[in-house]
Amino acid sequence: MDIQLKRGFLEICVLAAIKNEDSYGYRIIKDLKPYIELSESTLYTILKRLESGGLLTVRTAEHDGRLRKYYHITEAGLRRIEDFKAEWKELISIYQFVIKEDHHD
Amino acid sequence: MTKQEFLTQLQNGLSGLPQSGVDERVSFYGEMIDDRVEEGMSEEEAVAGIGAVDDVISQTVAEMTPAKPIEPSVIPRRTLPLWQLILIILGFPLWFSLLAAAAAVILSLYVVIWALIISLWAFELSAAVGVFACAACVVILWASGKLLPGLAMLGAALFLAGLSILLFFACVGISKETVILTKKAVLSLGRRFIRRENSK
Repeated sequence: MDIQLKRGFLEICVLAAIKNEDSYGYRIIKDLKPYIELSESTLYTILKRLESGGLLTVRTAEHDGRLRKYYHITEAGLRRIEDFKAEWKELISIYQFVIKEDHHD
Repeated sequence: MTKQEFLTQLQNGLSGLPQSGVDERVSFYGEMIDDRVEEGMSEEEAVAGIGAVDDVISQTVAEMTPAKPIEPSVIPRRTLPLWQLILIILGFPLWFSLLAAAAAVILSLYVVIWALIISLWAFELSAAVGVFACAACVVILWASGKLLPGLAMLGAALFLAGLSILLFFACVGISKETVILTKKAVLSLGRRFIRRENSK
């Protein structure tokens, strides 16, 4: 997928992965694996960006004798997902327009 | 590769970047490896799953370094307008002679520095020769029974010996410094020209 396009989708995907319950880095990657390829370093950058944008918060908790960071979605993060859903209709119509162009050829 | 090796290489590869950012990333990757191991992977497999440490380093460096401002490579190549070219050619007798004079002044200043150093060495040499001359005088004076003048000569010999030792170290130090400074000046001058060649 085009990198610019993918970057926008990845943020939404990461937010969606923590929408229902708090999650941690490796689990986010695993949960998204069937849908979109995501490397550790990309995930780190996205998590940082979402955190500084106030779309998620981070807490450190002990797990099995070591520390693990859990990510929690904020109200703003939930709103961002809703916005994406609204934008999606627009995207679908663009997609259909592109498909139609194909048929003309 | 073990987890520790991976994290150490990562830390070394990121040295020079802000420490807090580096620590945070290292602990992030450490957690990732631990989570994989917990799922049943071997440590080797878990580290391999992260990817090549060099790739992680280069990607992280690219992300943590602020984007460079647009470099001259994007700026259109400067070509001189015709009137400037004509002015340069017509002004050749003027700017070339000024340039040559400036170069001559710098060169003569440099020669003066070395002249001073050489005269210092000459002073040092004369002091050293003086030591032996005075010592010879001491022997001659004492052999002819002149005890007090001989003693005075011995004092002079010792004074000159001390002076020549001090001067020797001073001369060596100053000469070395001058050679090093010359090298540096020549290198920086050369580098400037080479850079211009490359940017063409």
